[in-house]
Amino acid sequence: MIAALRNWTDQLLGRGAAAITVPMFDGALKPNQILEQAETFAELEDPEDLATDGTSLFVADGATVLRYDGDVVTTVAQLDERITGLAVLPHGGLALALGGTELRVVGGPRDGRTWTSVAGNRLNAANAIHATADGRLLVTDGSQTQPCDRWCHDLMSLGRSGRLIELNLTDGRAREIASGLAYAFGTAAAGKNIWVCESWAHRVVAYGEGTGPTPIVSRLPCYPSRLSPAADGGYWLTAFTCRTQLVEFVLRQSAYRTRMMKEIDPRYWIAPALTSGNTFLEPLQGAHLKMRGIHKPWAPPRSYGLVMRLSPNGLIQYSLHSRVDGKNHGVVAAVECQGTLFVLAKGRQRILKLTVAELGRGLLS
Amino acid sequence: MTEAIVELRKATKKYAGVPAIEDIDFTLLRGEIHTLVGENGAGKSTLTKVMAGVVPLTSGQMYIEGREVRPETPVHALQLGIAMVFQETSLVPTMTVAQNLFLGQERFFNRLRGIYIAAQQFLQSLQFDVDPTATVSLLGAAKKQMVEIARAVLHKAKVIIFDEPTASLTPEEKKYFFDLIFNLKARGVSVIFISHALEEALLVSDRITVLRDAKLVVTDRKENFDRARIVQAMVGRDLSQTLYGQRKTSMRPAGKRVLSIENLRMAAMVKNNSLSVFAGQITGVFGLVGSGRTETFKVAAGVIKRDIMYGGEVLLHDKPVRYLVPAPAVRDGIVYVTEDRKVEGFFETKSIADNIYLGFLAKLRGGRKLVSKREASQVGEQFIKRLNIRAISKDVKAIELSGGNQQKLVIAKSLVQEPEVIIFDEPTRGVDVNAITEIHQLINQLADEGKAVVVISSYLPEVMALSDRILVCRMGKVVEEFSALEATEEKIMYAAIH
Repeated sequence: MIAALRNWTDQLLGRGAAAITVPMFDGALKPNQILEQAETFAELEDPEDLATDGTSLFVADGATVLRYDGDVVTTVAQLDERITGLAVLPHGGLALALGGTELRVVGGPRDGRTWTSVAGNRLNAANAIHATADGRLLVTDGSQTQPCDRWCHDLMSLGRSGRLIELNLTDGRAREIASGLAYAFGTAAAGKNIWVCESWAHRVVAYGEGTGPTPIVSRLPCYPSRLSPAADGGYWLTAFTCRTQLVEFVLRQSAYRTRMMKEIDPRYWIAPALTSGNTFLEPLQGAHLKMRGIHKPWAPPRSYGLVMRLSPNGLIQYSLHSRVDGKNHGVVAAVECQGTLFVLAKGRQRILKLTVAELGRGLLS
Repeated sequence: MTEAIVELRKATKKYAGVPAIEDIDFTLLRGEIHTLVGENGAGKSTLTKVMAGVVPLTSGQMYIEGREVRPETPVHALQLGIAMVFQETSLVPTMTVAQNLFLGQERFFNRLRGIYIAAQQFLQSLQFDVDPTATVSLLGAAKKQMVEIARAVLHKAKVIIFDEPTASLTPEEKKYFFDLIFNLKARGVSVIFISHALEEALLVSDRITVLRDAKLVVTDRKENFDRARIVQAMVGRDLSQTLYGQRKTSMRPAGKRVLSIENLRMAAMVKNNSLSVFAGQITGVFGLVGSGRTETFKVAAGVIKRDIMYGGEVLLHDKPVRYLVPAPAVRDGIVYVTEDRKVEGFFETKSIADNIYLGFLAKLRGGRKLVSKREASQVGEQFIKRLNIRAISKDVKAIELSGGNQQKLVIAKSLVQEPEVIIFDEPTRGVDVNAITEIHQLINQLADEGKAVVVISSYLPEVMALSDRILVCRMGKVVEEFSALEATEEKIMYAAIH
């Protein structure tokens, strides 16, 4: 009764969950155009994930895994289903998420091992894999209700059915570390803990042995996606779009949201997107305002590109942006390989290339 | 312009046997702008108060246009042609602007409409954008200053004395103020101008007089001064390299986000403002008056309240907090060091130790039932030493301290609360150069200790000298952020105005 009353007053006064506030891009998240101005390394048909073995870059493109050694490209695996997650195993071989519903090891000593369900529940939207040095696979299963490519439906239905899963490569055992996550997307081992991104909760949380979720980075102004380790400690965290007050408002209006989902083509929803500016029917993202002599977009952005560099304890050190007027949006993966950071801007189906040392010099002052 | 309008010969004023000014020979020429500079307690205010009839001379003579005079009251001084605009405005807050302008000049029967029309015409002639029907208490500091100046001009003063007139003005308003001073000069009015801002002294003055320890050190034309010479004359040593002169070559990396403000709204002053404050950094906040910078942080510290409906959020360590009064904010580690120390900063009739101890008690939930004199004394002594508050003893009343030491007292009162977030609003307003250096060192030390420090200042060199990152506010929200290394005065000012 009290909770209901509080909920009602919150709705009336715009407080608590109804406050509809969004954190600002400031401090280490201060926008720049580094991602927008980054060199394009490759443009592909349907890139989904990146991985590295320390010397080469591996790209999941549709149902194919490509290997880049400098400019030389080779196809290392051709599958029958779309790849939704990719990891290079430390002792050889690849771990792949196929269509979000199956995990399969290809090549290496565990070739052919597969998983389709964990803890009695079928895999539904496996979207990121992290291989640990001790032979475990950490996997995020984004949602139990919506497949990978319907992530926006999951957001708009306020989905909280994501899972963090651990698979043992040696004996094939599988266990669920956490469930009920607000879209699990991206994971990495951090010492004895496991970090996992909860996109709809805008945070990265840590799970340890017997310990519940501990926030590492919270109240992000964006929807985080995959995590990957950085060469000199810390992590690269990507975000596929940023939050806006308008979308936050829509997420709190159930009747409006339900009707929008029922009647409107998903391409034109008031919802985040991996890319935008393709048609005038899209909501917003077009307006601008002249400030300090330059045109600045002010309308709530629909898509955005962002990579964050985290310290080993989860502090954001600097960030790379493709702003609302840019194109390299919908960043879903970033991996560091031999001093080069490769970033996958899925919105543009592009892989971008940046030199880590230069980023450090320019942004870590 | 060479004709002397006011002269003081061997002027001495003693308070309880202690000279505030001693053997001063001072000449003010007709139509000149004469700036008095000196540390707090150097005797600037006393010298001008003698001329304005606020206090009488203990010994020495004063001449106006060659005639010996002894102004006994400010009204008498005004009759002699000397008006003074005080640092703290002397307007009646409950009266309108027009009523204040004509205060003391009322006829037996007054027609309010007539007064308003006359005031409107007069204010327009001075190009002052002030509504004559507005109640003074509702005006900002800058507008109050304008009314004070207008009143002095209205009384046809031959000499107008300004005590720290620009302290509460924004750069834009300062420009209007300086235009007004030049306008007065063109009309043959002499202006005495007390300022701590040396750049202003060098910009507007014809001549500059430096006072130190109740004595006149030097009077010379401004062409013969530079910043270093003034500072050296003021303090007897070279401080120019340690004050605002140095440009930052490195900045502290940001720690954890401690305080964040999201989409904050507060009446017409703060409009959808969002910002973050990080541990181990000094966040400088610059903006013109009315940009909402002070109000934003006052809301964060519980000094004022945000809008009731859709007022946005204040988050401490990512948890929403809402303070209706400052006490819970203090307990959570947020303190606000006020810009108006005399009104909000301390109890002026209480001792230094008592004031600091009151700060300590404010941190405790429910206060203390029994107050320990010994504890008060210990806490007081500890902070007097730590902040180098110069006073004869800890029992000296706050009102008896100089501006710089009063400011240190306000800071001590906040630091005793062991805060995590310290918001300094105009930390060196009306403070002498020596104290400025000490306060700046303290602010830097707090950031080095890992505290989240916010410095709100209208003085660009101060913002640039202290801050690791600079937020620029305009029209109720943060419009730009600069790192200390990329910021320039031009960039900041451009962002604040355009």
